[in-house]
Amino acid sequence: MSRSTNPGKEGASTSTLPEQPRVLVARRHHLLVRWSHWLNVPILLGLVLSGISIYWSSPIYQHKPDPRTGNFDVAADIGVWICAHMPGLHHYKNPPDWIYTHLSLGPGMLASALRLHWLCAYAFMLNGAVYVAGLIAGGGWRGLLPRRTDLFDALRMFHYYVGVPFAKLARRPWPHPSFNTKYNALQRTAYFSVPLAGGLSVATGWAVHKPMQFHWLAAIFGGFDTARVWHFWLMWVFILFVVPHVILVFVDGWDTFRGMITGWSSRVTPPEVQGQ
Amino acid sequence: MNKTRGFFGECALQTLEVAPQVLRRRTRRDVLLFGAGAVAALAGGGSLLPQDTLTRLGLRRNLNSPGKEWLLNRAIRIDDDVAEALYSPGRTVPTYTKSQITPLKNNYNGATPDPGYIPGWHLTLDGLASGVSGAVDIRTLITRFSIHDQITRLVCVEGWSAIAWWAGLRFDDLIRAYPPISQAKWVRVESSVNLDASGNPDPYYVSIDLATARHPQTLLATFLNGQALTVEHGAPLRLLAPVKLGLKNVKAITKLTYVAEEPKDYWAERGYSRYDGI
Repeated sequence: MSRSTNPGKEGASTSTLPEQPRVLVARRHHLLVRWSHWLNVPILLGLVLSGISIYWSSPIYQHKPDPRTGNFDVAADIGVWICAHMPGLHHYKNPPDWIYTHLSLGPGMLASALRLHWLCAYAFMLNGAVYVAGLIAGGGWRGLLPRRTDLFDALRMFHYYVGVPFAKLARRPWPHPSFNTKYNALQRTAYFSVPLAGGLSVATGWAVHKPMQFHWLAAIFGGFDTARVWHFWLMWVFILFVVPHVILVFVDGWDTFRGMITGWSSRVTPPEVQGQ
Repeated sequence: MNKTRGFFGECALQTLEVAPQVLRRRTRRDVLLFGAGAVAALAGGGSLLPQDTLTRLGLRRNLNSPGKEWLLNRAIRIDDDVAEALYSPGRTVPTYTKSQITPLKNNYNGATPDPGYIPGWHLTLDGLASGVSGAVDIRTLITRFSIHDQITRLVCVEGWSAIAWWAGLRFDDLIRAYPPISQAKWVRVESSVNLDASGNPDPYYVSIDLATARHPQTLLATFLNGQALTVEHGAPLRLLAPVKLGLKNVKAITKLTYVAEEPKDYWAERGYSRYDGI
């Protein structure tokens, strides 16, 4: 992420129009990458909401039924705890359902959750193919590959982020580490891991969905029941990615956000590192 | 280092020079399109949510429309077609050892039937090539056909599964002994003793394609864990089709009907898919 903006080069135009300096911009994201990026928002939202509704019908994390309430679902316990401790929720009418009424389509709707989940799952696979096509067509895949120096550079970035609040408080300059690559090591790790998690979600999804025809696939993930656990925690990879992803885009500014809509960025790589 | 970028090395981002007003116009166009797309996705995606969810969110209007039903049903039909394409008569499901058996709960959707039906039970066969209905009792089924043991996984649509030791006759052997009409492509498997949650009669019926019925691991099970089936598990005869979801594995079968057209299915009528191959 280089910060230099090239305010245009020779405005040597032979036209009679008033001289307008042309601006230099960098092509950042291929059209197909941008489309699939934004389509992932509703698709993943649909998958998570319907997925938690499906989870309700047979929770992975269970305990012996409570002798008083008969409840065995850890997610229901969390709902009860939230309603007991959060201000304003003391009169919530069905605390064990709190998680499911707020983070899913709702409890007791397996049939409609499955229909939506299949619709979104097929859309997600198609969208993944569009994303891969865009990465290949635009050459963007090279920017995502892990490098040998990533661990060290990730520590530098981590050190930078940890220091930002202190530097701001002390009003000290705190320069962003400079990289001559499209993404820094932390970004690269995240942007490489998320498509990987997408692929693994699809694979574990098929393992859970067709455990007999694809029993070899279920076996790779440790069998049918373990594949469900994988599928559940892969959902959290997306959720835990999205939160800092959105925050950091806002922090980084309009150019980064606009880049994913229009494809171009006004942050042009300094000429000295071009062709590295 | 700079020279040896190679195939995997990152290239510098491609740059281009544009007139500022062109850039501004394109950016405005793209951002407006993005905004329109976001609104369309919110409206379109939101309207696809189940009506119960929308009602809970405070929406009074009914957003169920033929288009919404069509799209969601299309998704499960495509998924069913994929499942059917994946099926192969020669592919068998994994079998397990007795040490891997897990508990199997009574998963009757409604009340468990009163065992009073068991002594007078017989299996009715319809849609036979002979043109007459057949009636077979359990003794005939157990003595006339060879009984096969099988330890397989039963997978429920809800997500849980259980490994159980079953024994019974092969469905295929019954089909050979009582050949169906030549046009038959489906078998309707029915239990007339099924009850709903309040204990009222609620006949249970599923559609099974003949290819699945003929699969070597599709049993008409009569034993569980070496014992005759109990009423909780569908005494005296239940379907065990491990290539299908548990909801197709009808307990306490009373009637088999061979038909040419796809018969009705209890859970397909309640919004689930109809082929349910796994």
